[in-house]
Amino acid sequence: MSAPEPLHPLASVARPGRHGPAGSLTPLHIELPAREIVQVLVRRDRSEDLAAALRRDFALALPGPGRAATGGDGVTAIWIQEGGWYLHASRTGEAALAARVAASCAGLATIDDQSHGRTMLRVSGPRAREILSRGCRLDLHPRAFGPGRATTTMLGHIACLVHQTDETPAYELTVYATLAATFLDWLIETAAEDGVEIG
Amino acid sequence: MLLIACPHCGPRDEAEFVCGGQTHIARPGPPETTSDAQWARYLFERDNPKGLHLERWLHRHGCGQWFNVARDTLTHEVKAVYGLLDTRPDVT
Repeated sequence: MSAPEPLHPLASVARPGRHGPAGSLTPLHIELPAREIVQVLVRRDRSEDLAAALRRDFALALPGPGRAATGGDGVTAIWIQEGGWYLHASRTGEAALAARVAASCAGLATIDDQSHGRTMLRVSGPRAREILSRGCRLDLHPRAFGPGRATTTMLGHIACLVHQTDETPAYELTVYATLAATFLDWLIETAAEDGVEIG
Repeated sequence: MLLIACPHCGPRDEAEFVCGGQTHIARPGPPETTSDAQWARYLFERDNPKGLHLERWLHRHGCGQWFNVARDTLTHEVKAVYGLLDTRPDVT
């Protein structure tokens, strides 16, 4: 029996292609990356051991508050709370990342596979910042927020982990899976002036 | 709208937070020597000051952590933000 195809939870909801007016504006580009997401909560007084284990096994330096970092083998860590991080990577199989992290951090942290509990979307485009700002109370201006910054806030009244990955600007947005379809609707509606390109 | 400086995340909009009411409420005890009146005060009676109020806040849509805030209920000025287990700050 072969492994199931990597499929995004919104694949059956989001119709690929251009939505909205075919104007002169560059549409907001929405990608649906199939990611595995693992929550790591450090055990008491084991912060340094955890950091060392992840550095050893994933070439990953755990980021501090409000920041994200990507390690040598493509695993990204995002600070979510004091002593807590999300690790995410391309989906390779059911709970594959969780198993790797659990093997690496045995006894140092609590590992939870959140691949089915959280859903990630990647949005990018020259006007991505302006579009997200319409539903976000956080200051996304480059002087306050830039590549490598990540924080949990609210977008369109939905709790969302916002991670800016580059200067395009491009953002990786992680929301609760049950709210992902609503969130996508909000995103398409909010970007109606520019239109969106899914895929 | 309040701007609250979460000790972990920095200044954030009030909409991300939930207020947990008055802080520093000591549980009376032991139960055998606690009167119904004392217990009722512990459960139900809260300060409602015009001015400085010490209260618990939860960064619900952020880092998910509880902390304490000293706030003026008249001016809405946030006078201090401190840890949940810290002693009350020197503010008036």
